[in-house]
Amino acid sequence: MSHHLEASRNSCALHGALQLFEAIDGVVPVIHSTSGCGVQHYLGVTRLSGGNDTFGSPPVSSSNITQKHVVFGGGSRLREQLKNTVKVVQGELYAIVTGCSTEMVGDDIPAMAREGRDQEWPVIYTNTPGFGGDIHHGYHLALKALIEQLPDILKSREEIPSGLVNIWGIIPNQDPFWRGNLQELGRLLEGIGLVPNLLLGNGQNVASWQQVPGALLNLFISPWGEFPARLLEERYATPSIICEGVPVGNAASILLRRLTDRLELDPIRTEEFITREESRLNQQFARLADSYYRAGFQREFALVGESAQVIGIGEFLVNSFGMLPRTLVITDNPSESIQEALDSRLMAILPGYCTDVLFSEDQSEIHDVVRAGQPGIILGSSLEQEVAVELGVPFLALSFPLFDRIVLERAYAGYRGAAALLEDLGSAMLAGSKYINEAS
Amino acid sequence: MSIKQGKHIAIYGKGGIGKSTTTSNISAALANAGYRVIQIGCDPKSDSTTILRGGNDLPTVLDTLREQSKVRLEDISAVGFGGVLCIEAGGPVPGVGCAGRGINAAVEQLQELRVFDEFKPDFVLYDVLGDVVCGGFAVPIRDGLADRAYVVSSSDFMSIFAANNLFKAVNKYAPSGGARLGGIIANSILAAYAPALIDDFAGKTGTHVIGYVPRSLVVAQSELYGKTVIEAAPQSEQAQVYRNLAKYIDENEDSVIPKPLNSPELKKWAREWGDRIFEVETGVVHEMASI
Repeated sequence: MSHHLEASRNSCALHGALQLFEAIDGVVPVIHSTSGCGVQHYLGVTRLSGGNDTFGSPPVSSSNITQKHVVFGGGSRLREQLKNTVKVVQGELYAIVTGCSTEMVGDDIPAMAREGRDQEWPVIYTNTPGFGGDIHHGYHLALKALIEQLPDILKSREEIPSGLVNIWGIIPNQDPFWRGNLQELGRLLEGIGLVPNLLLGNGQNVASWQQVPGALLNLFISPWGEFPARLLEERYATPSIICEGVPVGNAASILLRRLTDRLELDPIRTEEFITREESRLNQQFARLADSYYRAGFQREFALVGESAQVIGIGEFLVNSFGMLPRTLVITDNPSESIQEALDSRLMAILPGYCTDVLFSEDQSEIHDVVRAGQPGIILGSSLEQEVAVELGVPFLALSFPLFDRIVLERAYAGYRGAAALLEDLGSAMLAGSKYINEAS
Repeated sequence: MSIKQGKHIAIYGKGGIGKSTTTSNISAALANAGYRVIQIGCDPKSDSTTILRGGNDLPTVLDTLREQSKVRLEDISAVGFGGVLCIEAGGPVPGVGCAGRGINAAVEQLQELRVFDEFKPDFVLYDVLGDVVCGGFAVPIRDGLADRAYVVSSSDFMSIFAANNLFKAVNKYAPSGGARLGGIIANSILAAYAPALIDDFAGKTGTHVIGYVPRSLVVAQSELYGKTVIEAAPQSEQAQVYRNLAKYIDENEDSVIPKPLNSPELKKWAREWGDRIFEVETGVVHEMASI
């Protein structure tokens, strides 16, 4: 039965493509759509993700079509916009993305990109009408454009380092901790002798993408990484390893051992690295013990976020921190087959314990199920704060949309991410306890 | 929007079935009868009013949108035979842009120009292209723009199919204030069974045929001279057929919400007619039939 959807966390495909292109240095997106699509990306997505967007809104090129371009076709407007953009904005790669109206009209985007290439401009394109799917679909479309079109435009000049591993599945801003998470994942791979190809943020540029075909392995750490990994397997026969959730704490050890086995790396080096990292984390656990028992950290929690976050953070909180998963809400609307796989994985977090698992992007439904669970703490997006206030329980904002925290480098992935999560979670619990004590 | 001036009539039908010829002849006949008439061609081909104005070039409403210049009604209209004000909506070249949105934009532009307030027509005829393929082509029958729609159809199945599609559109929009169906104009009538076939379809869909236009050389000849039959051969029988149609449209306010056939019903109906025509052609004699 159809029902209304309140405050969806998943913007449109055009925005998903922009998320990706804007996270690569040297890529200049050119929007072919009505005015407003670009600013909506700022207002509805990037501005709501840990407060680290370009000052005032990103300066993005847009054809801003009007009615006459709808009636007579907007191809010539795009041609003009592309020409002007190349003149005004220095870039290594220009990426055309399209909106709903130009796709309804059926403007011939490949022809416009081809014309640009005939002028020896590095131009790729992707058709990203919002009605075609949500932000995750747009992320896929942009990846596909880069993987398929880049090799024909820019011949690789870069030497491919041995042991290169591409990391997929972290969508910039849709995971507010994407920069830090990628950095920490990179550090883990380096720790066992691999060379991470982070691809996004952190100074990653078009050259990083030119190295993609030469990687030893594709590592994808959310269901949304499966598509590029499959594409690369078909095209370059690159094998892949799936890690459905962001690996937090000891889950990182499992991943590193899998990588070591799969790529036949030096197991001694890996174990030394794991031992060093785990012992550091264990020390942190020990130092936290007093507060843990005094403030009663072991309580039921509700966790709301994208699948990779809910699995990664959820498993860590249960397996390493002894918390109880009362309600888990996955908001990124994965396909049914992935939902089934995630469902069985989530149910296994704490066998025998009654956990409500919900796949939803509807705020009202999410809040109802979280409220009904009566958790002792809520971890979710900034939208969930109102339920926490209503229930009088501590709250930690960690998923999109995140508009009441600044996230610059913070990560919740890996060992260091686990420590950061403990700090933030513990602080929220203590602040909450103080509040509750004072109130009573 | 200001109070609507005159009767607004939309004429639909499959491409190439004779809509523009029929509409132009009705416009000419209405004008001859002393009425002030506007004919608006809603087709990117922009050839609806050609035979009313001797085939001269006429800038379209949408050309003005392309140029984005300040336009006056005189720039986008021409006075044709009998004083009929001819307007072409225009549209994109084939294969680009969105013709459906074009219809919408042209109608908006005409409303902005206050064409109907200025000209004070008794009749406005919209000649709308082909099948109702998307929302844009339904604009004239939506939003209370036209009061009544007529469909031009021959006895060919694809033409009947297009008519049935229009009935679906009318059926959808009429309850919320859109145009109702005035009836079917049976065109290019040649075969002996054609009137019976169209009558039968009209009966099945709860509407009726308002006139039968025979296939005629006079029409082809007049078009070659760039004229309507009313102008080129006013004394011909064909001219009288068009005058009768104009008279009917003038005098009759009857309109219905048609009951379109669904896909299996339409197929079944067509197959039955196929059998019937085959039997007539091959001379099958049924039991009890009187010879």
